[in-house]
Amino acid sequence: MKFLHTSDWQIGMKADSVGRMAERVREERLEAARRVVQAALDNGAEMILLTGDVFEDNAVDRLLVRKTGEILRAFPGPVYIIPGNHDPLVPGSVWEHSVWKEAANITIFSKSESVELAGCILFPCPLHEKYSTKNPTSWINAKDVTKPAIGLAHGNVEGIPNGEPDYPIPRDAATRLGLDYLALGHWHSFARYDADDGSCRMAYAGTHETTKFGERDSGNAVIVEIVQRGSPPKLTQVKTGRLNWCSLERTVDQPQSLEALVEELGKLDPPDVSLVRVLIGGVLFPEDRHALIRIEELLASRFLFGSLDSSSLIPAPDGEGWIESLASGSFRDAAVKLRSLAAQSANPEERAVATQALLQLFELHERSRA
Amino acid sequence: MILHSLSVANWRSLLTSVELGPFSERLNVIHAPNGTGKSSLFEAMRRALFDAHHVSGEEIEAVRPWGRSLAPQVKMEFTQSGVRYRVEKIFLDGASAHLFRFEDGKFLPLADSRNADTKLREIIAASDAPGRGLSKHEHWGLAEVLWAPQGALHLDSLSSSVTENLRAALGVQLTGESGSRLEELLEERYQTYFTKGGKPRTGKQAAPILALESEQESTVAERQQRLEHQQRFEETSRAVEDARQKRGQARFEADAIRESVAQTSQQAETYLRLQSELEQKRLTEQAVKERFDAIGKSLELIGNVREEISQVQSKIQSGQTLVSELAAELQKTNDAADAARGKRDETRRQRSSLDDRAAEVEDASAFVDDSKAHQTLAARLEKLKQFEADLKKRKEQRAALVAPDDKTIREVRKCLAAHEVAEAALRASLIHLTVQPKKKAIIRSKSPDKSQTVTAGDKAKFSGSPDVRIEIEGFGTIYASGPEGDAEAHQEALQDAEKKLAKLTQPYGTQDPDRLQVLREQANGFDLTIEQLESKVAELLDDESADELKPQLAELDARIQERLGRFPAWKKQPPIVSDLRSALEKQRKAIETAIETAEDAFDKAQSAAQAVQKRHGQAEAELKNARLNLDAAKVRLNDLTKDGQSDETRAHDRQEALMAWEAAKIKAKDCETKLNEIPGDPQKTLQKLERQLAALEEVEAKARDEENQAEGRLQNLAAEGAYSKLVACEEKLADLNLRIRREKLRMDATKLLYDTVATCKAAVVAAVAAPVERTATHMLGRIAGPRLGNVRLTENFVPAGVRPEIATEPVELTNLSGGEQEQLFLIVRLALGQVLAKEERQLVVLDDVLNATDTGRLARVLTLLEECADRLQIVILTCHPERYRGLEAATFFNLQEKL
Repeated sequence: MKFLHTSDWQIGMKADSVGRMAERVREERLEAARRVVQAALDNGAEMILLTGDVFEDNAVDRLLVRKTGEILRAFPGPVYIIPGNHDPLVPGSVWEHSVWKEAANITIFSKSESVELAGCILFPCPLHEKYSTKNPTSWINAKDVTKPAIGLAHGNVEGIPNGEPDYPIPRDAATRLGLDYLALGHWHSFARYDADDGSCRMAYAGTHETTKFGERDSGNAVIVEIVQRGSPPKLTQVKTGRLNWCSLERTVDQPQSLEALVEELGKLDPPDVSLVRVLIGGVLFPEDRHALIRIEELLASRFLFGSLDSSSLIPAPDGEGWIESLASGSFRDAAVKLRSLAAQSANPEERAVATQALLQLFELHERSRA
Repeated sequence: MILHSLSVANWRSLLTSVELGPFSERLNVIHAPNGTGKSSLFEAMRRALFDAHHVSGEEIEAVRPWGRSLAPQVKMEFTQSGVRYRVEKIFLDGASAHLFRFEDGKFLPLADSRNADTKLREIIAASDAPGRGLSKHEHWGLAEVLWAPQGALHLDSLSSSVTENLRAALGVQLTGESGSRLEELLEERYQTYFTKGGKPRTGKQAAPILALESEQESTVAERQQRLEHQQRFEETSRAVEDARQKRGQARFEADAIRESVAQTSQQAETYLRLQSELEQKRLTEQAVKERFDAIGKSLELIGNVREEISQVQSKIQSGQTLVSELAAELQKTNDAADAARGKRDETRRQRSSLDDRAAEVEDASAFVDDSKAHQTLAARLEKLKQFEADLKKRKEQRAALVAPDDKTIREVRKCLAAHEVAEAALRASLIHLTVQPKKKAIIRSKSPDKSQTVTAGDKAKFSGSPDVRIEIEGFGTIYASGPEGDAEAHQEALQDAEKKLAKLTQPYGTQDPDRLQVLREQANGFDLTIEQLESKVAELLDDESADELKPQLAELDARIQERLGRFPAWKKQPPIVSDLRSALEKQRKAIETAIETAEDAFDKAQSAAQAVQKRHGQAEAELKNARLNLDAAKVRLNDLTKDGQSDETRAHDRQEALMAWEAAKIKAKDCETKLNEIPGDPQKTLQKLERQLAALEEVEAKARDEENQAEGRLQNLAAEGAYSKLVACEEKLADLNLRIRREKLRMDATKLLYDTVATCKAAVVAAVAAPVERTATHMLGRIAGPRLGNVRLTENFVPAGVRPEIATEPVELTNLSGGEQEQLFLIVRLALGQVLAKEERQLVVLDDVLNATDTGRLARVLTLLEECADRLQIVILTCHPERYRGLEAATFFNLQEKL
């Protein structure tokens, strides 16, 4: 028994951290979905299990629903889907779209009741609302079945610090319920829950395409192979994501430190699918002003998306030679004042404005000398 | 700079060459009346020092003397930085420039033409002149401060080069090297975002953040709208869910009710059946009871009829006896009534004799009345006859009298007056000639032509008009004439009056008005008498005529005669009506009393007879009824007993009926007990349940409708893809927010930089301007006293206002008087001049200034000028030299004398 476990496609999700590239990011999620289907084919999966949150919301554009349905329809085997907390089975949900009826290979589970297939028994746990403190798997009792028992659930595995319980699932749910494998959805990173004997009967596949900066171990699907009832499943991660969400944070405390960052950005590949966010803090030395400008240029030109936040940089308290190069008078006095404000103000916003003002004076000074 | 001499020729009104100098190094006053050319001198100095010699255009053309083709010329000798120079310039035709330097006791050429212009500007530190045009105020270098043209003592702004010179002279650097460029760049950057007033730029050059904020605002509104759509989608989804729940619940409840309906329906059927049985049993009970009652009743009736027959037979026997007795009594009372009736009728017949007597009384009364009326009417007719005869006589007399009316008399009097007037006028208009001959004479007058003989001593009068001509025989003709008059007209008037008078009085036979008046009064007397008689006649007739009265009299007479025919005795003795009437009344009373007594007796007798007759009738009727009742009772008894049963048989039957009745009652009671075991009427419960079921079915249907509607809405909303639109909007908003934050940071930074530089600059300027402000304040205090307080300068050294000690806020220049303003501008120029004169004496030129300053303050200004002359060379151009005579050490130049 071999199948592909995937979840949290979040089709139609918001991507407000990447500015005008948001639409591209959304399109990439559909592309990644195609790669999931291809991976299933490539790995000889008999079926695809989609464990919730296929869509970001029930009110996403119906064209996206159609496209998603068509992608899944292209898979020659069966596709089993449970609605998640983002796309729960409620009136007007995406699951009422005609594409699901048209696609004969796709089954949307609407009830928590077992379904016996030729090679296994599925225990689907579809969600009907966005939030609940109820364990969606509590109804399952697979101890007495003879075929491989596979659960499909969407929720939070207990033990993960997440405030209020929201669709809690016990860490030993698979074992306790007699399942051979419990395919989980909700978390965007891949996570497996190994039993004491080392076998893994419960795992989050994670999202098929990374959704934001700082999201670890995402952009995958999982190929699960169960030889027979009771035997430990074999889990194999397959890469399905393409976007490279890269977040670089640097604190400058030495002159010319930014050169390394310039070099790093220059080597970052592939640039056309990289979304890069750079945060620079610390002290801005006169020698680094040009490097800072270079970083800005690289971020603006080389990558699919780039952003720079240098608002927490403060000018070096001394060593601003160019200020001393200003003739005595109001400009030099102003530069000294701004430097002091940028370095010493208790208000971070005021520090950022003063730093920016000093940078502007530097730029104007350079131009006046040109 | 020190000016030594000035020579100007062909310059506006200055046709001949005018040479002024040598000038004092302290105070100089050039004076001349208006239009002489003082300002031309000032202009020539400016052109010589600051303008290129080859300038052209309307402005320099205007310098050429009017209507002449002369080339304006100027020469100046001056010392700058310890070196003496001479410049000679000719403008327009044959334009040239020569610059000389005093070397070894003589002036040697230093530069010619354009080189001379350039070199000169270098020497005096003036900025470059503008191409071929004339120099402007800002090209004058320090003279921009020190030279005040006529009417332009105000100091509104200074060029940057002068400002820098002043700062340099004050030993302060504001922006440092290349600071101007940096300042320009900063200004340029600042103005990208802000106006000079510090507000974000709007309009075409608006700060980019404004467009972003505007877009942000509209995006926020759009997001709100999208959010509402999204929420509506979710709410509608919940609404569908709720409707489904509601429908499910309604269906569930309806099913439960349906079951109850089925149970209750079964119970209702049992109830109905028992009710029917009970009714049937009660009917049976009722029938048996009725049979029992009917037998009892029959027995009772038979007994009653038998009793009734017995009683009626007894009653018939006694009734027959009574009827016989009453018949005898009736005969007796009828006889008594007949007797009373006869007596009554006899008495009534006496009434007819009373009627005859009453008729006689009436006749007597009418006879008496008619007799009286006859007498009265006859007397009226006699009197009437007399009045009518008298009236006829008077009317004849009146008809015989012809008398004028009052109007005619007035007309006569009026004619007589007119006649008299005409006569007098005629007499007055005639010539009167009186002849009294001493002997008899025959005098013949011509007009009228008549002769008369006048005896001796008599007088003969002749009148005429317009002359009198008489012929006295033996004497001759006497002709008298007088003034011509209108005697003829008077004569005509007289004749008219006479004719009219004659016409008016002709019927009366006299023209004497008094006589006419007497006639009038006589006529009036007749009229009055006639009127009185007519009134009396009318009174007698009283709306009747004599012809009407006479038949009345005849009728009365006929009636009297008719009664006398019937009652002849009344001829001798007329009847006394009251006596006749009294006798009649007495007789009537006696007869009426008798009739009343007879009628009472008859009534009593008749009543008694009628009472007996009534009782007799009643007795007969009762007897008849009793006989009929007896027959009826016998018939009923026959009916009741026609079955032929005996009384014993009937009693037995009645006992059996009673037992059957008791049995039926027990059965009905059993059935009622079963019915009572069912609580209430199940039919009512069933109806209630059915109503509940209908209501639930309605709720279910309604919920289904709501669900369908909500689903329709939901489908539409789902098709909108509200979340995707919201996401796009929020992403756009996030991008805008980021860009706005960046832009704001950039703007805030620019503003901070600009403001910081401005603050620093203000601090430096305050330090730089302070000595000048102090000097100017000191000077102003000496001129105007302490009232105006401290002088305030801008960073560019132009006056901004004053700050009086008593005022909390600075006072702007516009709030000072005209005199104080010109004094303030003068002292600021002098103060700046002193600053600039630290290194070298400077030339101050004042063209026709201080015109608004009063005499007192002018004296103090002159003192100040004298003190300033220690550091400055001052040249004053004025048309009022007397105002500057107080300058003790000044050199005066009378321009007019030089011409």
